[in-house]
Amino acid sequence: MADRPEYQTIILRIVVLAVLGSVIGLVVALLALVFLEAISWLNNLLLISPSERFKYVDNLKALNIATVLVPTLGGLVVGLVLRYLVDARRPLGPPDTILMVQTHTSGESVRSGLMSTLAAIISLGCGASVGQYGPLVYLGSIVGAVANKLKLNKHNLQEITVASGVAAAISVAFNAPIAGLIFAHEVILRHYSIQAFAPTAVATAIGYVIVNVVFHRPSLFLVEFDGVQHGYEFLLFAVVGVLSAFIAISYAKGILACDAFAKRTRIPIAFRPMIAGFFLGVVALWIPDVLGIGGTTLRFATIEGAFQLSELGLIIVAKFAVTVLCIGFGFAGGVFSPILLIGILFGALFGGILDNLTFIEHSGVVTYAICGMMAAASPIVGAPLAMILIVFELTHSYDLAIAAMVAVVFSNLISTRIFGRSLYDVQLSKRGFDLSHGRRNAVLAYEKITSLMHDQYLRFDVADKIETVMSKLSSGSHNQGFVTDSNGVFIGVVHFESCSNRDPSEIVKYAAQLPHFTFTEKTNLIEAVEALRIVNLDIAPIVSSTDNKLLGVVWNYDVMNAYLRAIERIESEENASV
Amino acid sequence: MRRSRIYISLILIILPALAGSQETQTLTISSWGGAYEEAQLEAYILPFEQETGIKVSLVEYNGGIAPLRLVYSSGKSSMDVVDMTESDALAACEENLLAKTQVSLLLPAPDGTPVSRDFRSDAISDCGVAHLLYATVLAYDDRAFSDEKPSQVADFFDIEKFPGKRALQRHPKSILEWALLSYGVPVEQVYDLLSSERGLRLVTRRLDEIRDHIVWWESGNESVELLRSGAVVMASGFNGRFFDARINHNLPISIMPKGQLLEFGVWGVSRHSPQRELAEKFVSFATSTESMAAFSNLLPYGPTRQSAFKRIGLHSKSNVSMRLYMPTSSSGLHGSIRADSIWYSQTERVRERWFNEWLQSSR
Repeated sequence: MADRPEYQTIILRIVVLAVLGSVIGLVVALLALVFLEAISWLNNLLLISPSERFKYVDNLKALNIATVLVPTLGGLVVGLVLRYLVDARRPLGPPDTILMVQTHTSGESVRSGLMSTLAAIISLGCGASVGQYGPLVYLGSIVGAVANKLKLNKHNLQEITVASGVAAAISVAFNAPIAGLIFAHEVILRHYSIQAFAPTAVATAIGYVIVNVVFHRPSLFLVEFDGVQHGYEFLLFAVVGVLSAFIAISYAKGILACDAFAKRTRIPIAFRPMIAGFFLGVVALWIPDVLGIGGTTLRFATIEGAFQLSELGLIIVAKFAVTVLCIGFGFAGGVFSPILLIGILFGALFGGILDNLTFIEHSGVVTYAICGMMAAASPIVGAPLAMILIVFELTHSYDLAIAAMVAVVFSNLISTRIFGRSLYDVQLSKRGFDLSHGRRNAVLAYEKITSLMHDQYLRFDVADKIETVMSKLSSGSHNQGFVTDSNGVFIGVVHFESCSNRDPSEIVKYAAQLPHFTFTEKTNLIEAVEALRIVNLDIAPIVSSTDNKLLGVVWNYDVMNAYLRAIERIESEENASV
Repeated sequence: MRRSRIYISLILIILPALAGSQETQTLTISSWGGAYEEAQLEAYILPFEQETGIKVSLVEYNGGIAPLRLVYSSGKSSMDVVDMTESDALAACEENLLAKTQVSLLLPAPDGTPVSRDFRSDAISDCGVAHLLYATVLAYDDRAFSDEKPSQVADFFDIEKFPGKRALQRHPKSILEWALLSYGVPVEQVYDLLSSERGLRLVTRRLDEIRDHIVWWESGNESVELLRSGAVVMASGFNGRFFDARINHNLPISIMPKGQLLEFGVWGVSRHSPQRELAEKFVSFATSTESMAAFSNLLPYGPTRQSAFKRIGLHSKSNVSMRLYMPTSSSGLHGSIRADSIWYSQTERVRERWFNEWLQSSR
């Protein structure tokens, strides 16, 4: 048990947490506003926004040229920025934030993060069909990471600061402070502790104040809704949820497949977005709704009769295709805004079909549109609670929030079984951080035992004589040695006992025994602990998984200590008060 | 209405004669005719003439900036002061057709409250002073609907439920907003969604549905006349005119509670007016607390200064409470749209083109 801190210390900590949350909230809110304004400025300048395109309806030639050229050239710029200014050579996003927080690593450099944000501004500004929330979340985490560099002598500072930044970003982006708070916990932190909850709540509230009181940004959408009219409609909401789950799963798999395809094509990273931009521009000549975030299209989707059913189907397919292409081919941006649009259009389509089935009375397209939107988006980010709260905060309608909840729950149930908790988690598991069995397992599995590797051990060549081996084994503190051939390939282990009944002039090769197991550079902490639980070894060899060369050894003692340390850290995070 | 014609004729006949004989100064002011003009005459034009000895010549004007441009090309001014809509004032200002506002000449409130605090913060612009807030509304002939009365904007477009002709202003303005509102678009998003091809397509679709039932009007009085004569059952028009018809002439005209489009009426001084000083003198007289209040007690157009609003009481003739009829009253504000004059000026070309094409396609 740690000593109880003094009252003064506790008060100081509370003050530090509150101030930290406020400052992060303020900074993130302002940066997020700059981010959003920059995008809308570029959208207007480059004839992406519907209101600007509208002014050019009598100059179609110029409009068409811009429609194809802007995303194409924008793609080139984005490609070059990512290739030469971002260390990872890819856009950074929420998965990087999750990894950074969960593994307590510093993540990508601040410069890379800012350049990735710049690439996102250019992508979105040039009309790429990608999301704005992912980059905003990452922007929030950059601010958090910078705040983390302050030497505040505070436990778990990194996760607190990053979560505060992310929460403020979502609060600003959606005008939904409660959803921001929950999102940071559901997606980034993956646990609830008062220590993180308090400053995150402060940050999200500050973000809300800045956006609502100081700058007055318009809401994502506004709806007029009189409530759910019939009880049986809840069944229909569940159906929307189930169907949306399949849309979400195809969307996620499409993005992963396109990403893999883009890598296989061997097209240089710098030129990939340009190709996607060109295709996007060509599609937009016929269906301009696919351009950019599609806020106007999203608002139309909640309006009865704004689209014909065939038109809805067409836009859904087109938006799906160009988004998968844009993200797969490396435009910088998130995955969330496009699925919001696809989902809401699907919901509107569902509502429209109900309209045609005259024997079913229903409460209007709005309900189904909102249900579709949240049910499709929720499995992508893995944040069902935050999605329900976003509906509540945006529409102020309890009825709509309940309807959305039913759809979201069914959607998440199915997609979790078939695909995984979220696209972020699946992307992370491909990078070796697998959250599917919980955060503890993911953290332990992410830690490779090579970090515990020693190079101070007795190493013998196969041609060494038994007597040499025995003399070394008896003189030092080691009671076993590791035998390799002339190429360094691991042959086996020798003990003093196994040598003692052999001919001293014999070579050690014949005395070497293969141990019950060997570790490789890929072995993680969980695997190591599992192995050491079965067979008690003081020292275990680590060999290369490719050529079997001996890399080093690891002590049982170190493995067990590392395991316990990791568990203690997680426990302390989850139970921290102030 | 008749009376105003007589006033104008009198003024038009007498003024040139006077001007010819003595050196009486004459100021040419545009107005919108009808009950509106009558109220203006009573509230501040005649008092202005009495107080200053300057004669006012009224000319008819139905909106737009073409008359101001005409002045510009002919090199001399036929209008000194123009009573224009906010969006026209903005467009005229951008074309440099209006003189810069002389804020220092505006009069403080009687209790000494300075202009800057007494006027609404958005009332004084670079080249115009807003003197009233009017609403373009939808109204109906109560006799035509004995059962259910139209109450939503959508009802205006519902020929089946509310059959009969509709009168609309032949101008691509408020019809855009109403057509979109009829789909249930929230008021706050109307201009955003109108700024898109899809928005205009929705408007077109709505208007197509009532295409054969539209009667166009151009001057504000015509819409009242069309309703009065029974030529139409519903009409768009200005709230003050419908008030006048109802209260002063006892016509069975009701205003729909939803879909009011609020806009400023603005005094602009022509940049090419040869007597700009006189014109500015008139603007400061007409925007005084007393003038504004006197006008608002005759017709329910909201004054743009607080001190004038405080003086609104009963209608000078019928004793009804004018506050209830103001477009800014709480019942009127619910579901009303503040006309976006910047949007109007930015989209004028596109709207004109779309409207003309739509009119053409109807033939």
